[in-house]
Amino acid sequence: MCSGPARRRTLAVTESRRMILLLAVIAGSAAGAAKAWLGGRELSSPDLRLAWLVPVAFLPQWLAFFCPFSPQVPPNWAAAALVSSQVLLVLFAILNREQAGFWVLGIGLTMNILVIVLNGGLMPISPDTVMQLAPNASLDAWQIGQRLGTTKDIVLPDAATHLCWLADRFTLSVPKPHPWRVAFSLGDVLIAIGAFSLLWALGGEPSARKTSARVATHSF
Amino acid sequence: MKYSLYNLGLMLERLNQHHIRLVLVVLSLALFVLGAGAPADFGGH
Repeated sequence: MCSGPARRRTLAVTESRRMILLLAVIAGSAAGAAKAWLGGRELSSPDLRLAWLVPVAFLPQWLAFFCPFSPQVPPNWAAAALVSSQVLLVLFAILNREQAGFWVLGIGLTMNILVIVLNGGLMPISPDTVMQLAPNASLDAWQIGQRLGTTKDIVLPDAATHLCWLADRFTLSVPKPHPWRVAFSLGDVLIAIGAFSLLWALGGEPSARKTSARVATHSF
Repeated sequence: MKYSLYNLGLMLERLNQHHIRLVLVVLSLALFVLGAGAPADFGGH
């Protein structure tokens, strides 16, 4: 466990979009497409093993965190949905470990699962981080030890968090006109890097003939 | 004519399969990262 102030505050969470990781997918897709276009190649499509496992694994999370009746899902059900879903996703990552990026994706996911399981089934976030995310919110929407809105997070002080360095402790703020604040974990960073590198790899590599031709051209 | 149409059909089929597969890969990856990650984000404050 880590040391740190354990303050009890409440504030309102008004909106949750969970979009930060999709930005890595969008950026990776654009970069991979640009790489293929510049190299005069087609985007390759890798053979993913048991690809159907991904929507199946995601379904419990959709019910617990993303669908309209998610706010009514009890926290212990949400925790069970998150852990079971992520275990299936780890299995998928292991099955596809030969693909570029899946090692990094798998390690990031494992880091997230580890801290989630050790802290009761939801991702811990400290009160300080919550206050950084929503400094102007009202005083009655979150409590220490409770799930944070409909997110995957539970508010826990660092002192009560196992492996707090793997929790949602890094923050990013986008200023106006589109203010946006996000807290993320070390595992999330690796997941974003893995997704980007996998999509970048879809752009393909220059063929040996082209490379040697370029080398020959440069040598003259 | 028949031959060209056949070739066109084959080409479209290959293109479609390739593109559909590509879209499925990207969608799978998007679902994967949504499920694997656990960021908390707040917009519009």
